[in-house]
Amino acid sequence: MANSILFIAITIILYLLAKKIYSQYSFPLLVPITTSTFVIILILSNFHVSYESYMNGGKWIHMMLGPAVVSFAYPLFEHKERLKSHFLSIIISVFTGTIIGFISGVCLSIGLGLKQDVILSLAAKSVTTPVAMSITTIVGGIPSLTVVYVMIAGISGAIFGPYILTLLKIEHPVAIGVGYGLASHGIGTVKAAEYGEVEQAISSITMTLSAIFASLICPFFIHIFIK
Amino acid sequence: MKYAYIFIQIGFLYCLNFIGITIQNKFHLMIPGSIIGMFILFALLNIPLFKEKWIREGSNFLNKHLTLFFIPATVGIIQYSSLLNGSGLISVLIVLISTIVTMVFSATLSYFLSSRKDQKKEQLIRSELNGK
Repeated sequence: MANSILFIAITIILYLLAKKIYSQYSFPLLVPITTSTFVIILILSNFHVSYESYMNGGKWIHMMLGPAVVSFAYPLFEHKERLKSHFLSIIISVFTGTIIGFISGVCLSIGLGLKQDVILSLAAKSVTTPVAMSITTIVGGIPSLTVVYVMIAGISGAIFGPYILTLLKIEHPVAIGVGYGLASHGIGTVKAAEYGEVEQAISSITMTLSAIFASLICPFFIHIFIK
Repeated sequence: MKYAYIFIQIGFLYCLNFIGITIQNKFHLMIPGSIIGMFILFALLNIPLFKEKWIREGSNFLNKHLTLFFIPATVGIIQYSSLLNGSGLISVLIVLISTIVTMVFSATLSYFLSSRKDQKKEQLIRSELNGK
């Protein structure tokens, strides 16, 4: 019990610190999710604390992800008109982007000879955590391993996104939102929120649509590619 | 007082999440409960009787601290030290490459589609103005 409260406190304090550091030096590698996770992992491994005992406290924070996803409806509602006027662009990009994200991951894995259970676990990596886990269960991968790949996809998008978008000279809010939402789900949406409210709204609708598309196409594509 | 409002509003959002999860389990849906909850809230917001301010503070609070809620799941990476050996490292690299490819492709495509649309709209407004 005391430990659980301690882990909750550590997580919140490190998060606030990481945020403070990021607001001072907004260098992409220092996104709060990377720095705070890194320090917590260092602490846990130094004191030989297992992930299970960390999660006795951590689960209370993790529990807030559900209501946070529900609250995405609010920015969506606020920017309804903007979404409506770009609906076709978003739908087309989400549909093709979800397929590209899936095929590029699976084909590279097959090409480089990864084990089948690893391929099945990383197939849904661009999708938001809860959906990715259910997709992995359906195709027969390892759900807890999927969470890791989902987090890597999220963090790498948040880190490399700014460089990619500058390189491509993309400044359109819809394109920024779609890029982050598709490649990096919720963590990408947090990053998109740094650009503005429209980017955040677009990113969260993109993430939602891609989760729905992915749960429809993944089992089907897996069947073609692997079995 | 402000924090009491936030607390109650988050409680309400949590209930919607719970309703979403119940619906998902009841009908064995592939869409996660939280997203069903989001659709319910979106529908509610479109009803004139439902006031935006009932959830505004709570939503903004959750949105502002979204990163915090991702931390426990991300720390889960600690269980897979095997990702640092040969084939594990390759799989991480594949996820990196595939994420970058996905972002480049989708941002470019929607940039192309959306900016073309904006141009059309601009032309339309201009031609209307000229007509007058």
